[in-house]
Amino acid sequence: LRKDPRIEGLLRELAPQVLGTLVRRHGQFDACEDAVQEALLAASIQWVDKGVPDNPRSWLTTVASRRLVDEWRSESARRRRQETAAVLDLPAQGQAYDQDDTLALLFLCCHPSLSVPSQLALTLRAVGGLTTAEIAKAFMVPEATMAQRISRAKERIRSEGVPFAPPPAAEREDRLRVVLQVLYLIFNEGYFTSAGAELQRSDLTAEAIRLARMLHQLMPIEGEAAGLLALMLLTDARRAARTEGDGSIVPLAEQRRELWSKEKIEEGVALLTRTLGSVQVGPYQLQAAIAAVHDEAATAEETDWPQILALYGVLEQVSPAPVVTLNRAVAVAMVHGPRAGLALLGTLEADERMANNHRLEAVRGHLLEMAGDVDAARESFRKAARMTASLPEQRYLALKAARLK
Amino acid sequence: MKYMIMTFGSAEGGLAAMGKEWMLEMIQFMHTLDDDLKKSGELVDNQGLADGSQAKTVRIQNGIPVATDGPFAEAKEALVGYWIVDVESEARAIEIAARIVAFVKQPIEVRQVMDAPPDF
Repeated sequence: LRKDPRIEGLLRELAPQVLGTLVRRHGQFDACEDAVQEALLAASIQWVDKGVPDNPRSWLTTVASRRLVDEWRSESARRRRQETAAVLDLPAQGQAYDQDDTLALLFLCCHPSLSVPSQLALTLRAVGGLTTAEIAKAFMVPEATMAQRISRAKERIRSEGVPFAPPPAAEREDRLRVVLQVLYLIFNEGYFTSAGAELQRSDLTAEAIRLARMLHQLMPIEGEAAGLLALMLLTDARRAARTEGDGSIVPLAEQRRELWSKEKIEEGVALLTRTLGSVQVGPYQLQAAIAAVHDEAATAEETDWPQILALYGVLEQVSPAPVVTLNRAVAVAMVHGPRAGLALLGTLEADERMANNHRLEAVRGHLLEMAGDVDAARESFRKAARMTASLPEQRYLALKAARLK
Repeated sequence: MKYMIMTFGSAEGGLAAMGKEWMLEMIQFMHTLDDDLKKSGELVDNQGLADGSQAKTVRIQNGIPVATDGPFAEAKEALVGYWIVDVESEARAIEIAARIVAFVKQPIEVRQVMDAPPDF
């Protein structure tokens, strides 16, 4: 299959709009979703040969509608007549409709009644326009497994009677939080390119940024949508410097900052500047602000740690979590010295949510190393290496321990 | 999150010692379980291993790698098969393991596969 990146880009952009139109017209999210996938496949083959049609959107809508009707025809002749009539009666589409549809789709795919892996998979397929094979590859599971996961998610949407509409006002905030979380997890999954699947996984990061950008455009007044996009850009900016050629981790302080993407940093900072202060502050905006402070330091030594410490203080108030306290402990150590940081870490010991969490031991190792307590630092790094479920991280931590002699 | 769920059995001649009824039930159970995990979109891979008595162990002897008959560990129990599942949480992996334990009445080991994204 030949792939033209411009055509692929266009198809992925149109996918949620076409699907939204079909679902609004016919209901039956699962059947419509299959039909749109088939139309996308047909387009990716035909458009390469014959060129992109004048109105690619209506081409896709027509082909997908036809598939839907074919499906129904084989299902039932009676229904066919009704549905054909519906398909022929094409109302004019306004842009406002498209935007509402895409948003409604996103909320549908990130519905709380679906499991997290299902939310991720369905969002990538229905909103991102990725094929099942592409999604399966990205998550390193067999294609049949991913196909089953997607079809189960669609079944669930049908059986639960999840409506194709934006959530009611009372649920809106919670539902948006799930959508943001799904996009964040897609980004997170892709951010670290694990050996062997490098290209595919980077694509997942690009896809998460694309979806976050789309969400931000659809909801320009949502500060957290802007914050999430900024966080992704400001984090992804460091991608080239984060790992060695062999996949091993380079910590922030040792990264070659000339490898950081200036464009992404500029875009992220500009976005954040427009957002911060104009709307209610939230955890994504604050994490993005912290990332921006790191990104704007020319060298690790020039990092404005007092500002980072202040931001973590606000983040801890807005969305308290042991992981936030953990990060604040690092900032405390950088501003007030390692012993002060270690004292704050001590408050997390009794927290059940941190039991068996390798990050607590890893941070303790760093702070003990800063304090010159080499033996205790080595022990902490060893413990952390045993607890992590990330292979590159395990190697990094084990090396840290081995070098402390 | 991916987990490996491992079943253990007698290192030598495990299955051969079991009765016919149990064998048939076991085959049916495994078939249903695999089917369920496929349908739920969670199964990544599953394999049964040949009897431990068929194992070869390759080790260095006088500076040269040499293959010898028999399993590596000098234990009564040996790995007999595994599932790799991609699930939402560790709790779900344990739930799957519990279903197997309830049937085989043997301990099951659940271990996370190291493909988690690291912190950044």
